[in-house]
Amino acid sequence: MATVLLLALLALAGCTPKLPIDEGTLVIALPGSPTSIDPRLATDAYGEQILQMTHAFLIKRDAAGNPLADLAETWEERSPTEILFRLRKGARFHDGREVTSSDVRYTFEWILDPRNRSPHRATYDKILKIEAPDPHTVLFYLKEPFAPFLVGMARGIVPAGSGARGYTPVPGAGPYKVDDFQPDEAITLSRFGAYYDHSPSIAKVIVKFIPDSNVRFLELKKGSVNFVLNGVDPDLLPAALKNQNLVMEEAPGSNVSYLGFNLRDRILSDVRVRRAIALAIDREAIVRAIWKGHADLADSILPPGFRANSEELSPLRHDPAEANRLLDLAGYRDPDGDGPKPRFTLTYKTSQNELRRRIAAVLQEQLRQVGIAVEVQSHEWGTFFSDIRKGNFQLYSLTWVGIADPDIFHYAFHSSQVPPEGANRGRYANPELDRLVEEGRRELSRSKRKEIYRKVQLLLFRDLPVFPLWVHRNLLLRDRQLAGFTLAPDEDYTSVKEMRIDRQVRGATGKAAP
Amino acid sequence: MRTYLLSRLAQLFPVVFGVVTIVFLLLHLIPGDPVEIMLGESAVAAQKEELRRELKLDRPVAAQYVEFLGGLATGDLGVSFRSREPVLREILSRFPATLLLAAASLLVAVLIAVPLGILSAMRQHSLLDHLSAFLAMLGLSMPNFWLGPLLILIFSIRLGLFPVAGFGTSRHLVLPALTMGTGMAAILMRMLRSSLLEEIRQEYVRVAAAKGLSRRATVLRHALKNSAIPVLTVLGLQFGALLSGSIITETIFSWPGIGRLMVQAIDARDYPLVQGCVLFIALCTVAVNLATDLLYSRLDPRIRYG
Repeated sequence: MATVLLLALLALAGCTPKLPIDEGTLVIALPGSPTSIDPRLATDAYGEQILQMTHAFLIKRDAAGNPLADLAETWEERSPTEILFRLRKGARFHDGREVTSSDVRYTFEWILDPRNRSPHRATYDKILKIEAPDPHTVLFYLKEPFAPFLVGMARGIVPAGSGARGYTPVPGAGPYKVDDFQPDEAITLSRFGAYYDHSPSIAKVIVKFIPDSNVRFLELKKGSVNFVLNGVDPDLLPAALKNQNLVMEEAPGSNVSYLGFNLRDRILSDVRVRRAIALAIDREAIVRAIWKGHADLADSILPPGFRANSEELSPLRHDPAEANRLLDLAGYRDPDGDGPKPRFTLTYKTSQNELRRRIAAVLQEQLRQVGIAVEVQSHEWGTFFSDIRKGNFQLYSLTWVGIADPDIFHYAFHSSQVPPEGANRGRYANPELDRLVEEGRRELSRSKRKEIYRKVQLLLFRDLPVFPLWVHRNLLLRDRQLAGFTLAPDEDYTSVKEMRIDRQVRGATGKAAP
Repeated sequence: MRTYLLSRLAQLFPVVFGVVTIVFLLLHLIPGDPVEIMLGESAVAAQKEELRRELKLDRPVAAQYVEFLGGLATGDLGVSFRSREPVLREILSRFPATLLLAAASLLVAVLIAVPLGILSAMRQHSLLDHLSAFLAMLGLSMPNFWLGPLLILIFSIRLGLFPVAGFGTSRHLVLPALTMGTGMAAILMRMLRSSLLEEIRQEYVRVAAAKGLSRRATVLRHALKNSAIPVLTVLGLQFGALLSGSIITETIFSWPGIGRLMVQAIDARDYPLVQGCVLFIALCTVAVNLATDLLYSRLDPRIRYG
């Protein structure tokens, strides 16, 4: 019987099919399946990344958050509350219709309609009305001047009249059209010949949803996947690079991890304690040991190189002696010196992600060195996030992803933004910061905004409502024959359309030239 | 028989009612707000309240429960918060993958367990018996999160025989079915061995041997059938469990089954989808148990229902 089983297995195995790269197919692995591939509804990173291949946006953003032309060729601020976009002619949706101003108006009006329950509605709540005076002009009227408005217009456009139909794809005007979408399995895209810019070189793209990091690595190793961006654990990178067909590209990223403090907590309300905790953490050691060097130290929740980033912050370096001094000053003397009794005990909450739990264990040990006992609580995502929103924590760690504008400071630190209203999870309140971030969102001059946010960052550095930990570097593992992808800090997949398969490339293992 | 069937079907109602009630209450007890998860943090409080009203989540839990039962009575499982797809459509789109994997795993388990179980029983205390005991222990001790990647490494990476993961062809089915079937095979094998040994010691086996029937024929024709009842019980329970999906195997092999769907629904606090999945799994389990009970009478004419 066992022989029969073995023979059946071998018969099923048959001959090994050709690798996708040999058939000219790009196979991308994403860690999760998007809940929606409709630009009006998608919120997760996976959905956004697929939309970057399937939909043309009103405008795009570059790595520094500056607006770039896409469907809108030009735009102008006719007044602080009137922004006019001129659309390019000849852009077509996948169903053949031309993209017009009515489609743009429809897309945004659909999002703003409460009946449609779009998660993006709040982004556009400053819009008063939208006009489409001719097929290639759209005029947005705002309720009040709003500096981050333009950044928020990077949204995929759908044809007028499109309803939202669960997993059914909505036509876009991007370089690839959706042939098939199977949630939790894969999405198959094919080149859109009538794409306004130029038809992509690679005819077929398959995006596989592979939740397990080891399996993503094994798929790469086998060649059944040939492109993984930030999807392989740092521990597995050396093994991946032993494969002759794979190369790794690395570039600065924009996802910033931070340690959050509950400022309503009796112990953590004292800035000296928060600063002592920051000084007790050896971030460099964690970046070296856990991220294998693939992260940069952060000094602000704005990623380095972001347009309003401040150069005046001196990063807090690991200094346990100073941490001990600050804790003594704050009145938390160590009862038995180097003995087992702590100064106080804090609870640190994190998700069940394996890397996060390892980081929690390291933080626990590093804080123990200055006499702070840490109890680590690892919860399933829904429970963890609910606790953070409700303020049911002392310490936690999360990552800000997709920061597009320094207006994030309003959302994350303005006193009115304590959940459920916004993301001021640590309950920070500072009237000076409130005034500055309100001013920042009204101010349209870029240089003046930069000055405002410089002050904001200095304030946050002084008060330390959160401690920025590190910025994750983007790591791309790809087949050596794939070329043309530009590694953007925000993990943007737009440049997939520029990719090509270079059959001439053969070589040694290792990193690709930048 | 008909009376029995009707009475069993009538028992279905309290079981399903109990299951959906417990899950409904548990879902509303655990922390996490579906509205926050759906709209994200950026939505203002007024928008969240608006959605909460629209989804009727602002109403007392008791009122929501009555509404849920009302929908259930009319066969309406609602619409998923997360995907906006009807819950039944979501479940039915995943069920074929789950059913396929469950059936294939069962097949693997039976193909391994039956021959080894019979041989072990027929040659008790032999080298083969000890070897199969060792294999059973190994099968039970290997967790799926370890066995799955190991099988991928051997059969997919080293030998290149099967795809690493995914769904779609029979080749995709082999490794997940082996992963899930191995542990089950171990239980079945030991169960069949002990059950068969008990039968072999019965008088009718000695009579058959005395009348000149070969040992092989005695075991295969008579003892095996009589020893099948406990094995069938275990098989039915295992199959019912397999139909509820296996989150670990489905995650390792990127298999789009019910298990992953339900975990994602729980993460998103997608109440209608979680309730729909649980209801569906409960119905499957009850149906498999009923089918198992009915099979008893086929195997053993002494068992009569009704």
